[in-house]
Amino acid sequence: MSRKRQGKIWIEGMDSPMINATLSGKQFREELGERTSVSILPDIWVIKIGGQSIMDRGKSAVLPILKELIAAHGRGVRFILCTGGGTRARQVYSLGLDLNLPTGMLARLGGTVPVQNARMLQLLTARHGGIVIYPDDFDKLPFFLNTGCIPITSGMPPNEFWEKTAAVGMIPSNRTDAGVYLLGEFLGAKGVLYIKDEEGLYTDDPKKNPDAEFIPDITAQALLDSGQDDLVVERIVLEYISRAEKVRKIQIINGLKAGTISAALEGESVGTIIRAA
Amino acid sequence: MSDFVKDDGRTHMKSGLMRESLVSKTLIEQTDTATVQRMVPDVCMLAVGGRSIMDRGSEAILPLVAAIAELKKDFKLIVGVGGGARARHTYEIGIDLDLPIGGLARIVGGVEENNRDILQFLLAPHGGITFIKDHFQDLQLFLGNGMIPICIGQPPYHFWEPPSKEKGRLPDNGPDVGLFLQAEVIGAERVIYIKDVDGVYTDDPQKNPDVEFIPAISARELLDGDFPDLPIERELLRTLDDSRSVTSVRVINGLDTDNLRRALNGEDVGTIIYSRRYSAAEGRNQ
Repeated sequence: MSRKRQGKIWIEGMDSPMINATLSGKQFREELGERTSVSILPDIWVIKIGGQSIMDRGKSAVLPILKELIAAHGRGVRFILCTGGGTRARQVYSLGLDLNLPTGMLARLGGTVPVQNARMLQLLTARHGGIVIYPDDFDKLPFFLNTGCIPITSGMPPNEFWEKTAAVGMIPSNRTDAGVYLLGEFLGAKGVLYIKDEEGLYTDDPKKNPDAEFIPDITAQALLDSGQDDLVVERIVLEYISRAEKVRKIQIINGLKAGTISAALEGESVGTIIRAA
Repeated sequence: MSDFVKDDGRTHMKSGLMRESLVSKTLIEQTDTATVQRMVPDVCMLAVGGRSIMDRGSEAILPLVAAIAELKKDFKLIVGVGGGARARHTYEIGIDLDLPIGGLARIVGGVEENNRDILQFLLAPHGGITFIKDHFQDLQLFLGNGMIPICIGQPPYHFWEPPSKEKGRLPDNGPDVGLFLQAEVIGAERVIYIKDVDGVYTDDPQKNPDVEFIPAISARELLDGDFPDLPIERELLRTLDDSRSVTSVRVINGLDTDNLRRALNGEDVGTIIYSRRYSAAEGRNQ
């Protein structure tokens, strides 16, 4: 015989303020206090290799970067490699936009190309321990890392059909920069590093505007408030950093310049640093 | 190979987005559109409350199951469900253990699966089957064969759950948001939240007797106004307001199952919450 309280199944030990809360109560949420949480893998770097900026350049860019990363791995630096999509992702977004597909569908389509890129990197790093991992493998990360493997994964978050439509525009707001950042934030990672083909952040796209000025260090809020049209990372990452608990800064570096990755992994302020505050 | 452009060291494919950062505000504005293609436009999403319906046991669940079985003869339905008391207990223990928000989001869906499996069992004689992420694109196979797909609500953001906008330590995204987003990408005809209150009030009517019923309100007004408690997630309101296909949702009292019949028939029952793109004249989405 089931016991009930206020019309709902009740068992010993269930009483708590949360049980009868709707979870939308403002006061209830405030009373939960500030976010503090354990760090899951605090010694691990989360590193993104750009799709258009690095992968689409082929071996002239990819091989030296992998060499530098593998050397760092040999020195005991531990990291997860994440991939961007690049040109093929842009092509399929373009096709999807032309067909007026919803954002959730575009996010689904955008997910396949970074997986291809992850597989390419795995083939190139297999003899140094490169393995491809998928979201369902993430609770085995300590095992992979402790065996000396280099986990390689798509930077895309697993949102797919559940990606929200943006207020303006149809391209998914959460793409590989966002997925990489959120992964780092969840892990409480040592740092989140974006390897691109520019020194870092400029006031405009330096590939199109030669007058663009370099910005070495800036807060996410200042960057959002500046209203600048183009950015070196997805805009939603700036919003996430502002609200984050663990990863309060990201670093964007030029992987085409030898030594930059090593310098960043040693904690040097190369490239651009975007901070929460 | 003539469609490839290699003049800057990168191999581009010619497309409207070639060389674009996809971050430029100007570019993003150019991709804007008011409506999008619909995948399965004649389906209705029924979001069954975990705490409000499932935790009430047989007295609430069995009449609802009977009503869904009957209404399925006239409507294509997807049934989604939340976690209820066990989801709250999960959060309570998870927060005490200082788990990060992505950890909470990863774990909480497990108890929704209990509720999905219970509804699937009860609806099986009428075609109830479990509907999971990997079979999302098989939806028409199920509907075309007279089945009732039954799914969990929590969206699969898992470890990638963003830092919350709301105060406190809970994920912003729960089953209300997850079921809405499924309906949005499907381009569903209606989304109906089945709860144990008549709709939206100025505060929780089960705790505060001094409340007023709201038959119709915009998502923006609900977000910005002084509403200490709501029967739906606040993130649902933000998500709804930016949506392109599903521009309104309805919150009804499922303890009287006639409300469900009326809502599916487009009658004005419970509370309608509408987005800035909602157009009553179009007659879509209620």
